[in-house]
Amino acid sequence: MFDDLSLVFNYTLFRATLRASTPILYATLTCILTQQADILNVGVEGIMLCGAFTAVAVSYFSGSWLLALLAAVAVGTVIAAVMALAHLRYKADIFVVGMAVNMLALALTRFLLQKVLGTSGSFYDRAIVPLPRIHLALLDGNEVLRSLFNDYSLFEPLGILLVFFLSWLLYRTVWGLRLRSVGLNPLAAETAGIPVFRRKFEVMLYSGVVGGMAGAYLSLGYSRLFAENMTNGRGFMGVAAMFFGGGDPIRSWIGCLIFGFTDSIGSRLQSLGLPPQFILMIPYVATISILALAMGRKMAAQRRARSALK
Amino acid sequence: MSQPIVVMEAIVKDFPNVRAVDGGRFDLRAGEVHSLIGENGAGKSTMMKTLYGLYAPEEGRIVVRGRSFEALTPAGAISLGIGMVHQEFMLVRELTVLENIILGFEPRKSGGRIDFAEAEGRVRRFIDDYGLHIQLHKKVNAISVGEAQRVEIIKALYRGAEILILDEPTAVLTPQEASRLFEILKTLTASGKSVVFITHKLREVMALSDRVTVMRQGRHVATVDVSATSIPDLARLMVGRDVFLGVSRADGGAAGDVVLSVEDVFVPSDKELSKLRGVSFELRRGEILGLAGIDGNGQSELVEAIAGLRPVEGGRIRLGQGEIQNRSPLEVRAAGLAHIPEDRNARGLNRAMSIEENLAGMAFRRAPLSRGPLLVVGALRRFARRLIETFDIRPARPEAPAAHLSGGNAQKVVVAREVDEEAQVLLAAQPTRGVDVGSIENIRRELVRARDRGTAILLVSADLEEILSLSDRIAVMYEGQITGLLDAEGADEESLGLLMTGGALP
Repeated sequence: MFDDLSLVFNYTLFRATLRASTPILYATLTCILTQQADILNVGVEGIMLCGAFTAVAVSYFSGSWLLALLAAVAVGTVIAAVMALAHLRYKADIFVVGMAVNMLALALTRFLLQKVLGTSGSFYDRAIVPLPRIHLALLDGNEVLRSLFNDYSLFEPLGILLVFFLSWLLYRTVWGLRLRSVGLNPLAAETAGIPVFRRKFEVMLYSGVVGGMAGAYLSLGYSRLFAENMTNGRGFMGVAAMFFGGGDPIRSWIGCLIFGFTDSIGSRLQSLGLPPQFILMIPYVATISILALAMGRKMAAQRRARSALK
Repeated sequence: MSQPIVVMEAIVKDFPNVRAVDGGRFDLRAGEVHSLIGENGAGKSTMMKTLYGLYAPEEGRIVVRGRSFEALTPAGAISLGIGMVHQEFMLVRELTVLENIILGFEPRKSGGRIDFAEAEGRVRRFIDDYGLHIQLHKKVNAISVGEAQRVEIIKALYRGAEILILDEPTAVLTPQEASRLFEILKTLTASGKSVVFITHKLREVMALSDRVTVMRQGRHVATVDVSATSIPDLARLMVGRDVFLGVSRADGGAAGDVVLSVEDVFVPSDKELSKLRGVSFELRRGEILGLAGIDGNGQSELVEAIAGLRPVEGGRIRLGQGEIQNRSPLEVRAAGLAHIPEDRNARGLNRAMSIEENLAGMAFRRAPLSRGPLLVVGALRRFARRLIETFDIRPARPEAPAAHLSGGNAQKVVVAREVDEEAQVLLAAQPTRGVDVGSIENIRRELVRARDRGTAILLVSADLEEILSLSDRIAVMYEGQITGLLDAEGADEESLGLLMTGGALP
């Protein structure tokens, strides 16, 4: 039995966790951007899915991962712009808009999969060019070091850099201070001469850029194919991780790592003969647990802060 | 006579269903304090928000230092040297004082970074020049109201304000804090800045300003020099007739048995200063106990705890025979409580329903308004007509939607419903806030009548004049505790003001 467990818990888990958390991390960054302006972007799932499809299609036809990435980003930005227009200009409820985007994305990618790539279910081809990997010849000698640190897909370290970059942007720069004030008290921002509408629109667009990147990584970095509904709730996990971290990039990233960790353990447990139904449940159980945990902590802290008995 | 630096002419501003300002006029000279007075809803704030660029007027012209505008934006107004301290502070509670002050006008380092050192240096200069003491590194949700107001003033100065608009700045201050504010304003005008002072407290107008503009129902009524007018004159201009606010208290008989007793009660709150820590008092049959205090010192929490709207963490509340802490609002009402809530829009009324449905909010549970699960429409209509007539509610149509009621009439609906319950205990929280003068007289009279019929009334009000003119006894709250309990005979504004700021009586 312990021999079996060492198959699950060993140093390769580090790599697997990082890899599995990355798509969720990009989804979280997408949400954090808008959440700081007090917009709950639940459309991230749909943006990601469209981005993933676009990336695979463009990569397949053009043979260029860069073109594929740019196209995915462009698609993400356009969808986000439509959402921003509906929510900000025409005052539609953001939750409804987001869910509409998710449903549309699911059906539209399935439709285009048939029409453009002529298949259904999933599409894989050797002509799909993936995102580049960072290979350090230096680490080739040692099996453990190679497993831990070599051959990462470009977007895996980039995602971690983005966490710290966003954190710096939010708390150290003029842009960040203004954005946070827009989210926390729009009237105060407005009286400080900050154009609230424009600022909200702007972060929706940035959120589309990151959402497109999230999709491109999912289909060209994390895997090398497109499958129907391949996001499979990762966008929502991103939303959950954002709530877990209260909109703070670093704390939300920790939420993503927990998701990545449970995901990697789950896929390994399968090899131990656990029923697959339970293993497939793990991400969702983890999502609910994390949200419940975040909520419980928040409520307990609030109760403590409110109490007069101190 | 110096040239005016601001001239507003023929301003018209519409809101849905309402013309808030209709032919508004105002001018401001350099170095003066110009008060803008009028009743609630007279259009004072709307006028000044137009000057600050928050509203674009439908018609009219704004001239600032010779440049004419049809409408301004906040950014434009700020660049013209106009600053505004709003009634509701425009501060981001989760950010620090310093971040709030520099917001929108941050000194920068390379890479778009904020230069906090430079910012602090600049702000300190204003603190020193004008004696405005504030703590720069605390978050706004941890500072007092008076301090938040000083933060707002520094924020305006930091943005380069030469013209400072203050919207009812003393509403949230004690008399002592208010006089400190007046000193600050005098320093400001002495250094050449101009102040617009929106208020409806006439004594402050007389004490502080050079000129006064009076507005009524959105219209400009008069602009006069303070030296050439008097409080009665201004009151007449504001209201359009002579006013007597002092309802005769006509001491009801000696107070009777204790009907409500609050014993060592602890109640949680979002704000540190509003948490109740060991509050005790007794309320007797046939008396009005006035609860004075600056807003936010726990009065609202106390009322909500009694009414069953907020948990009680420690202590007991007895009403009649039983204990009512941590019971549901309906159970508390059944035990003999009526409650005029402080926010009539959130809790007092259902604006989507009609006047009669709102009036019957409690009585519909009993005969004759209902029989089993069914409402008796005829009885409901008769019930509503009786209250509408007794309390002079306008429009006098039971089926009219509550959405269109003016502030005063909306409040009369709430008061009518609660007073008519003839409960043992009536909680009246800010019963005349935001209500026109005519309705104030009416509501106060009804409270005194209820007292004379034997109801025990807890009157919570931020208006000292109201507390002094209605109460038999007065309790003062400060930071969640009762700091003084005195007979109305021996109380005056000075002594209450002292207790309200945490001082002790000599």
